[in-house]
Amino acid sequence: MDSEDDMHDANDAESLDDDFYSGETAMDSDDGDAADYEFIDNDSDDSDDLLSRRSQQNYTILNESDIHLRQEDDIMKIASILSISNVAAAILLRHYNWSVSKVNDEWFADEEKVRRVVGLLEDPRALPNVKELTCGICFEVYSSDSMRSAACGHPFCVTCWQGYISTSINDGPGCLMLRCPDPSCSAAVGQDMIVSMASHEDTEKYQRYFLRSFVEDNRKTKWCPAPGCDYAVDFIVGGGTFDVTCGCSYSFCWNCTEEAHRPVDCDTVSKWIMKNSAESENMNWILANSKPCPKCKRPIEKNQGCMHITCTPPCKFEFCWLCLGAWSDHGERTGGFYACNRYEAAKQEGVYDDTEKRREMAKNSLERYTHYYERWATNQSSRQKALADLQQMQSIHLEKLSDRQGQPESQLKFITEAWLQIVECRRVLKWTYAYGYYLPEREHGKRQFFEYLQGEAESGLERLHQCAEKELQTYLTGGPSKDFNEFRMKLAGLTSVTRNYFENLVRALENGLSDVDGHGGSSRTGGTRSLGAGSSKSRGSRSKGAARSSRATDDSAHWSCEYCTFANAKSATVCQMCQQRR
Amino acid sequence: MVDFSRVQKELQECNRDINVSGISVNPKSDNLTNLIGTIPGPIGTPYEGGTFKIDINLPDGYPFEPPKMKFATKVWHPNISSQSGAICLDILKDQWSPALTLKTALLSIQALLSAPEPDDPQDAVVAQQYLKDYQTFASTARYWTESFAKISSLGVEEKVQKLVEMGFPEGLVRSTLEVVGGDENMALEKLCSA
Repeated sequence: MDSEDDMHDANDAESLDDDFYSGETAMDSDDGDAADYEFIDNDSDDSDDLLSRRSQQNYTILNESDIHLRQEDDIMKIASILSISNVAAAILLRHYNWSVSKVNDEWFADEEKVRRVVGLLEDPRALPNVKELTCGICFEVYSSDSMRSAACGHPFCVTCWQGYISTSINDGPGCLMLRCPDPSCSAAVGQDMIVSMASHEDTEKYQRYFLRSFVEDNRKTKWCPAPGCDYAVDFIVGGGTFDVTCGCSYSFCWNCTEEAHRPVDCDTVSKWIMKNSAESENMNWILANSKPCPKCKRPIEKNQGCMHITCTPPCKFEFCWLCLGAWSDHGERTGGFYACNRYEAAKQEGVYDDTEKRREMAKNSLERYTHYYERWATNQSSRQKALADLQQMQSIHLEKLSDRQGQPESQLKFITEAWLQIVECRRVLKWTYAYGYYLPEREHGKRQFFEYLQGEAESGLERLHQCAEKELQTYLTGGPSKDFNEFRMKLAGLTSVTRNYFENLVRALENGLSDVDGHGGSSRTGGTRSLGAGSSKSRGSRSKGAARSSRATDDSAHWSCEYCTFANAKSATVCQMCQQRR
Repeated sequence: MVDFSRVQKELQECNRDINVSGISVNPKSDNLTNLIGTIPGPIGTPYEGGTFKIDINLPDGYPFEPPKMKFATKVWHPNISSQSGAICLDILKDQWSPALTLKTALLSIQALLSAPEPDDPQDAVVAQQYLKDYQTFASTARYWTESFAKISSLGVEEKVQKLVEMGFPEGLVRSTLEVVGGDENMALEKLCSA
C-alpha cells in the first residue's frame, strides 16, 4: 500500500471527496522523501490560494466598485432591453429586488400593471401652463418656473421638495421608493430629481442606501459581517455548505451570517449566542421591550398604536404583535385578532409557558452552562492567538527559517498549512462545546461517544499545536539541521491526520451522531472506535469509493452520497450533508 | 422646525368654512405646536350630537412628519383606545404625506367615526363587542357620547351670552369656551389674560 499517495490526497484540499479515512496510514509513514514534497509544492505555487482552496467556490467576493459595476450593468441591461431611461430602470430593479429576470418577466407579462405598481407614468405630464402656482405643501403662491414636479405634474415649491426629500432620506432606505407627495398620486420620484435637490450630505446618504439596497435586497448577496469589512459575498445557493471566507479572511456562515460554525447548525448557534449575551443589559432590554420582525429579524419596539405592526421599508411585513403571525392570517375567518386567538390558543396549549419554563431551567443550570461556556471561550481566544501566531509566522519567521535551514520559502508552506489547520481546528472545537451544551442529557450513549470524540480531538490538536509551536523553535534558532526533513514529515503528517480527524468529527456531529442508536446494539457504539483510526466500517467505505456503481446496493440500510460520501438513510432522496440529489 | 406660516394658513383655512364642515382647529397655547381640534359626531352614528376634542401635537418635522393626534374626549370606538384616546389610523403613521393637512386628517378621523374598521382594532374589547354584539356596542357608544362629548353643550348659549355681555366678541368667546372644554371660569380667565 502506498501511504504517500494517501497523504497527497489529504494535502490536496481541492479534492474534497477524497477518501477521508486515508489519514490513518499517513501517520505511520516515516520513509517519505523530499521529492514527493517538491511535487506538492509545484502543484500549488500560489500561496494566496491557501484559504480559498479550502472551500468549494460557490461564491464570489465583491468589493465596493464591483458592486457599483454590477449594479450599473444591471441598470443598463434593463434600460436597453425595455428602452427606458436609466432612472426608470433603477426604480424597476429596486422594486423587484434587483432581479433582472423578474423585471423582464413582469414587464413583458403586463407592462401597464408594472408601470402602475412601480409608479412609472407612460406619458409624463409637465407643470400646468400658468404663470403662478400654489405649492401643495406650504400653500404659498410662486411663479411656475420655481416649481417642480415628478412625472405627474403635481407642483410643489423647491423648499418643500427639499424638506420632503430630506425627511425621507433621513427616515431610512424607504427614500429609494419615494413617491409624489400628493396622497392620491403614486408617481415615483427618480434618482435624478432627488440628487438635484438634496443637500450634499443627504445625497451621499442616498447613494449609500442605493448601493446597500443592491446587496441587501438582493437574494443572492450579503455583506460580510466582519467589523469594518466592506466586502459583499455573492452566493450561489444549492450544493455544498454555507461556509464562506471573505476577502478580509473572515469566515462566516452565509445562511445566518454568524461566524463559520460547522458542525453546529444555525439554530443552535443563534440559541448559544443569545444565551451568551443573555446577561448583558442590552439584551435584557431588547428582550423585554422589543420583538424581532418575524420576516427580517430586526428588533421592533412597540411604542404606540394597535397590534397591527408594519415593519419599516424595505421589509414592510405586516404582522400581529401578539403572536408574530402574518397579519393576513388574522381575520374573522381565523377567529379574530382583537385578543388574538392564535396567541390565546398557543398559550393554552402550553407553547408559551414552555418557553418560560425553559428559561427558568436555564437559570438553574447555570453551572452546567458555565462549564461549556468557559471551554467555548477558551478555544475562541486560543484561536485568536493562533491567528496572530500565523501572521507572525508568515511575516517574520518563515523568512528567518528559510535562511537558517537553507530552504526556499516555497518549501516551507507545510508550516503555514499546519497553522491554518490549527486555526480551523480551534474553531471547530469551540463549536463542539455549544454542541455539547445542547446535546440532551438523557442520550447517554451519544454523550459518552461525543465526549470521547471531543477528548480525542483535543489531544490530537494539542499534539499538532505542540509540534508547530515548540519543535519548530529548535530549527528557528539552530543552524541547518539534517533532521529538518524529518520534522517536515512529522508536521505535515500531523496536519493531515488532524485535518482528517476533524473533518470526520464535523461530519459525525452534523449527522447527529447517528452511529449511536439509543440501544447501543451494534458494534459501533461510543468509545469502541475513533474516527481517525481504521475500523471495519472505514475500510468498508473505502472499498465503496473504489466501486462507485455498487455503492447503493452495498449496504441495504444506507446509500452513500456520490459527492460527499455521506451515508444517508435509505429513505432519504437528498443527501443530508450536502443536499445533492441521490 | 415646524413651518408656522403653513400652520397659520391651515388654521385660517380650516376655521373659514367651520359652518360647513363643523371642524375647527385652535391653538391650545401660544406656540402653535399644541393645538386642539374639534369634530362633530357624524349624523346617523352613535356619535351624533357629540363634540369630540382631539389633542394635536406638531412634531418638529411637521408637515413632513405626521402630527400626533389623540382623542381628548373619551369615546367608545374599535379604532380608538377607550383608555388613552390613541387612534389607529394609517395616515397618522406611515401613510402620512406633507400634502395632507390637519383638516384632512381630522376629516379622516371623522370618517373613521362613521366607518369603524374592526379588522384593524386599537381597542380589542370594543372591537370584539362591535363584531359580536353590535346592539350593545351602539348603545355603549351612544351612552359615552351623551356622558363625555356633550358636557359643555348644556347651557353653552347662556355662558356665551354672559361672556359677551362682559364685552368680549362672540366668536372669540365661543372658540375660547371650546378650548377649555366649556368651563366658564377658565374661559373667563383666558379671555382676560389674552
